[in-house]
Amino acid sequence: MAIVNIPPLGEEGAVAQATAPSHFWRTPIDNIRNKKSLAWFGLVPFFLFLILFLLIPAISVFAQALHDEDGSFGFSAMREAISGQNLDAFIFSLKFSAGAAFVGVIFGGLLAYAAATATRPRWLRNIVSSFSGVAANMGGLPLAFAFLSLLGRQGLGTKILNAFGWDLYAGDFKLGEVSGLITVYSYFNIPLMVLVTLPAIDGLKTSWREACANLGGSAWTYWRRVGLPILAPSLLGGFLLLFANSFSAYATARQLTDNSKIVPLRISFFLGGDISIGEDAVGYSLAAWMIILMGISMAAYWLLRRRAERWSNS
Amino acid sequence: MTSLSFTGIRKTFGTTVALESLDLALQPGELVSLLGPSGCGKTTALRIAAGFEIPDTGVVSLGESVITDTPAHRRNMGMVFQSYSLFPNLTVAQNVDFGLRNRKVEKAKRNSRVGEMLELVQLGELGKRYPHQLSGGQQQRVALARALAVQPEVLLLDEPLSALDAKVRSTLRDEIRRIQSELKTTTLFVTHDQDEALAISDRIGVMSNGRLEQLGTPEDVYLRPASPFVARFVGSINELPNNNGVGKILVRPEDITISEDENELTMRGTVTRVTFQGPVTIISVRVDMNDQLVNVHAASGSIHAQVGDRVSLDVTPGRGIIEAA
Amino acid sequence: MEQLMRQSRSQRALGRLLPTLVLIASAIFFAFPLLAMARFAFQNLQVIDLGWNNLFEKWSFSSVTASFSDDFFAEALTLSLKLAVGTALFTLGLLVPTAVWVHLRLPKARVFVEFLTILPYVIPAIALVAGIVVVKPHARWFLNSDYSLIPFYVVLALPFTYRSIDTGLRAIDLKVLVEASRSLGSTWIATLFRVVIPNLRAAIISSTFLTVAVVLGEYTISDVLLKRTFPSFMAQYRQSDPRGGYALAILALLGTTLLFVAIGVLSKSRSTRPQQVSRSQENEILV
Repeated sequence: MAIVNIPPLGEEGAVAQATAPSHFWRTPIDNIRNKKSLAWFGLVPFFLFLILFLLIPAISVFAQALHDEDGSFGFSAMREAISGQNLDAFIFSLKFSAGAAFVGVIFGGLLAYAAATATRPRWLRNIVSSFSGVAANMGGLPLAFAFLSLLGRQGLGTKILNAFGWDLYAGDFKLGEVSGLITVYSYFNIPLMVLVTLPAIDGLKTSWREACANLGGSAWTYWRRVGLPILAPSLLGGFLLLFANSFSAYATARQLTDNSKIVPLRISFFLGGDISIGEDAVGYSLAAWMIILMGISMAAYWLLRRRAERWSNS
Repeated sequence: MTSLSFTGIRKTFGTTVALESLDLALQPGELVSLLGPSGCGKTTALRIAAGFEIPDTGVVSLGESVITDTPAHRRNMGMVFQSYSLFPNLTVAQNVDFGLRNRKVEKAKRNSRVGEMLELVQLGELGKRYPHQLSGGQQQRVALARALAVQPEVLLLDEPLSALDAKVRSTLRDEIRRIQSELKTTTLFVTHDQDEALAISDRIGVMSNGRLEQLGTPEDVYLRPASPFVARFVGSINELPNNNGVGKILVRPEDITISEDENELTMRGTVTRVTFQGPVTIISVRVDMNDQLVNVHAASGSIHAQVGDRVSLDVTPGRGIIEAA
Repeated sequence: MEQLMRQSRSQRALGRLLPTLVLIASAIFFAFPLLAMARFAFQNLQVIDLGWNNLFEKWSFSSVTASFSDDFFAEALTLSLKLAVGTALFTLGLLVPTAVWVHLRLPKARVFVEFLTILPYVIPAIALVAGIVVVKPHARWFLNSDYSLIPFYVVLALPFTYRSIDTGLRAIDLKVLVEASRSLGSTWIATLFRVVIPNLRAAIISSTFLTVAVVLGEYTISDVLLKRTFPSFMAQYRQSDPRGGYALAILALLGTTLLFVAIGVLSKSRSTRPQQVSRSQENEILV
């Protein structure tokens, strides 16, 4: 029912346009002339929304960050934000975020593989993916409370370990330090990794595994030459996602510790306190640097994800 | 050139019987097609040959050796899957090279062999491309080259043409046959398309519900179907009431003679449609006896029937198969 | 030949051993913290005394019911629920038309739009709220209202919700359905409501539940902006009554879990086209 012929311009065309039913498809003239620009108009509400509620806050952060002590434009705050104690904080956050991401990739990947290949019982895979959905989105508070109950000084897990002769708190362990944070963050990192990796593992076609066997390759050969290379972009992408997620987590950290070596906590201290304008800019600079770091990670994640999708379409 | 045989192979999946008791022997160098509808067991038989399924009972032999329990990666067979079997992260050349690397063939020999195989399937220029850059037909050619590179004793093909366009299908089909007869590789070819099977096979095994209904040359299977199922599945068929009133007689359209003579012993009817198809004309006749529609193929020009004519039909002696009620 | 047979059987058994171990270990790791928290929350014993011998003693819900009578409980819960509903509606109203538009008119923009939906990871909650604090003096009229949290919550949930709706659209033949509807005389609005939305039911429901889960768990923004949402209330309550705080957390968890189980059930029953909505797409709904 689409109009195929282009009506001529001029009187006849004008009449045709005037009498076309208003609920019908746009007349062909409009189609051709305005097609491209009109199409982008449809995204205006979405773009507007993002500008107002994402871009403007982000730009504001940078605007505040680029202030010197005397209030004029300058980079001194940005520089201070990555020196001295601030630098220590960044390094600390980087360390435990990378560690948490690494743990999450390994165990999340294994769990995803176990769930994807489980044939009995049938409901196993659904349970794993449903639970992953819950745990990955679990707000910081319940998680923090749960681990305080388990591995806090009076925690039940701590007591169990004591019974086996292992004093958890003998060494450096504290929930707010690297090892503790990695343990706690694994609770949402592993499920997040499962969510990202399950589709990728599903994308490994059985015919590849069978073709490899048919051509004389063992399971090890398959994983080394086909399986892992194909999964690699997804695994790396997962690492970056988990890293970004761990670095920027606030709520959980807040409940576990006052440790100002965690960048998001540090930012909130700067924002909340009774401080002069100069120090204020340092707080925003911390946030600005964090945005930059996250931007790089997510850009790399994005590229990897596109690469992985390309192979799944072949 | 090696023989491949199935003896007493039975396979069930849960409560479904995929193969009842398959006995099938492929002679060295021959191409046997397993033909049948979905679920008939043909793919299961192929996968048992490849080692991806273990039969419940029975023996699979390659030449003199029993291979029933040999793991898939130790059987020296080549397999071409229906689709998407090329490793997407490797180039065409690397794909073809894969089996050779597993057998630790030295590099120089591998390279020349890869080149040879790509020439064989007429894709010599495309070695550096990736699978997603190729068309469906090209991908299947690479799959074939890859399977043959290691000089397998048996070649297994699992509906390799089903996912391709019609045009590509017939070209590739003939090429597969050409390559197979050149290399004289014993080949098992699974398909649901009878034209394919009839065109390229030395012998065809028609299967239904886990059973081998008939094993014979294409002519045997077409002209002398061993069972009503085969008669119906391969080629077109008319179902006429039997002379003695019990059961049916299944006859091919070209095995019915049509004439304008009256004769009490023959079936009479009225022509409802005449369709000219070049060398053959299809004459549709509504039979008096039970109002059934029968299609007759006659050489064009041999009979001048028109819609509404009264005609007599008879079955060519020796043709047709009787199906008890 | 015999030896080969034995080898492959034991290899196969080993192959199933590792995944099974992983599953068991995971089950332990994920269950224990919750069980510990349950004991802290619902056993009327001193935390120090909790041990194996009193595993089954003095369980009661008094800690939770006590929190109900707190002055701010009802206020916080209602606010969070209202915010959840508001965010869900806002999300659908913004994303469904946008996603449909992209699929129909601007397929080339799909990649770009998908990239935009990743941005909330680049500007995480803590950075976002920092920006809000900057803007606050200039937009007090807006930011003073508790409901001003809604658009920001929509931003936070964006990666998940957009992916869910996008996946839903990919699973149906949108173009064909819309053209069929239009050729039968429907207006755009009618097509949207009578054809598109009913076919997106699973995706809409799952993104709604995701939104609710995010809102009920969101602490960062409401903490810094001093809004009294349910999570803020939980944190505050815990200061005065730890047991009650833990109990509330379990309540929140149970609620969220039920939602996700519902998503799982709904998306399975709705995918009546098994060839097209593959398992991988099902899981993509959540990321």
